[in-house]
Amino acid sequence: MGTKYILSKGELHRQDNSLNFKNSNGNNYIPIEGIDEIYCLDEVSFNTKVIDFLSKNNIILHLFNHYEGYSGTFYPREKYMSGKAVIKQVEAFNEKRELIAKAIVLGIANNIHEVLYHYYRHGKEELKEFLDWLKDEMPKKLENSNDISEILLTEADIWYRFYNSFSVFLREDFVFNKRVKRPPDNPLNALISFGNTILYTKTMGQIYQTHLDQRISFLHSPQERRFSLSLDLSEVFKPVIVFKTIFDCVNNRKLSVEKHFDKNLNYCLLNESGKKIFLEALESKFNETFKHTTLLRNVSYLKAIKYDGYKLLKYILEDFEFNPFSLKEKK
Amino acid sequence: MNNITGTIINYYIHCKRQCYLHYHRINLEDESGLVKIGKALHERHNTEEIEIDNIKLDKIKGEFVTEIKKSDADFNASRFQLLFYLKKLKEKGVIKKGRLTFLEKNKVDKKNHEILLDDSSEKELEDIISEIKILVSNSTPPAIEKNNKCKKCAYYAFCYI
Repeated sequence: MGTKYILSKGELHRQDNSLNFKNSNGNNYIPIEGIDEIYCLDEVSFNTKVIDFLSKNNIILHLFNHYEGYSGTFYPREKYMSGKAVIKQVEAFNEKRELIAKAIVLGIANNIHEVLYHYYRHGKEELKEFLDWLKDEMPKKLENSNDISEILLTEADIWYRFYNSFSVFLREDFVFNKRVKRPPDNPLNALISFGNTILYTKTMGQIYQTHLDQRISFLHSPQERRFSLSLDLSEVFKPVIVFKTIFDCVNNRKLSVEKHFDKNLNYCLLNESGKKIFLEALESKFNETFKHTTLLRNVSYLKAIKYDGYKLLKYILEDFEFNPFSLKEKK
Repeated sequence: MNNITGTIINYYIHCKRQCYLHYHRINLEDESGLVKIGKALHERHNTEEIEIDNIKLDKIKGEFVTEIKKSDADFNASRFQLLFYLKKLKEKGVIKKGRLTFLEKNKVDKKNHEILLDDSSEKELEDIISEIKILVSNSTPPAIEKNNKCKKCAYYAFCYI
């Protein structure tokens, strides 16, 4: 299990049975064994020989432009294909979409609660109202939602309140007023957008190792021109992986607005050293392990994403209850 | 029943759930590494794999068909897999004896075992095949049988999650 991030401009070559990334500093050899994914976060040139080699080794290639914009993914042809699983997944979309969507929204709320409870316990009493809402009112509201649009409204409400709570515990220079996407307009939005994109692409890599069809999603509409199941399954991991990492980087002064963001772009995007610090922090979060309460094994957060895929597969194949990953219960 | 393979027979004896999932092509990536080790050992030990219809014979030489296994973890499952190959060959008019080779022996006393397709084992095999047909036609997989052997299985995380 490994991820290689390429942060600078250069050329990627196949060299015998290995990879070589050439940039202005010279040759950087990338051993192919143990690599599952390569992220190109700046202009990288390569040829079909590289693509073919990656494909043979089942390596996924994620491409980004220089401005943290996600361009797309090269995805080797499917390893796992099960006609039965696809048919069942479509049936689940028709028959159980709302149930799955509700489980995901509840999962988001539970994990946000767990993340914020830490700050509440350390004296941020202002969070109590939001925490109570997450535990009592929100689940009731969700329970009474009848269609997907109501469920999505509740989800949006959770995130809106979550973003509003940041001013309680985040360092002042990072607090923002509202969430702005494409393009982000301040450092915190930049971290959130970039972090979410990395999580989304990591989730794709995990779903690739299951029999789920990436296109058939439940909370998000499958009509979105993306692998929308990744959006679904990554949702409950946002508080756990992306936000916990951001809060840590910001509050422990690992990232600063002056040093790690690009001044030319009004501090709206990470610069190269900022990207490096943030990606390293994210990567160590993905690799952090915990004792899984039902598997009784040490599991990394990255694996936990794949296991949520298994849970969904089990739900659609044999109707096992689908409860996405819970940070509190560690399962 | 052309879609029944030796592996399906083996899995049916070992675990009905594993058999069902594998039949429906739900093959999860193995995390324990044991499957990888098994495959690597296989590659090293047999260079003459022969494919007939949908069966893959590790080795066919003289009067013997040999099936090579990493370990003797489930002797009976391996035995029926081999019996199935012998039966398939017999249907084509080729009468052979079977030899099971375990690269590691933990439970049984020797590495090589002679397996013969006789009337009673052929009957047993036929029963197994008809049971498999019923099993895989069910709309859902059979329940998990919680057992120590699960810990080493590629489906462990899927079953126990």
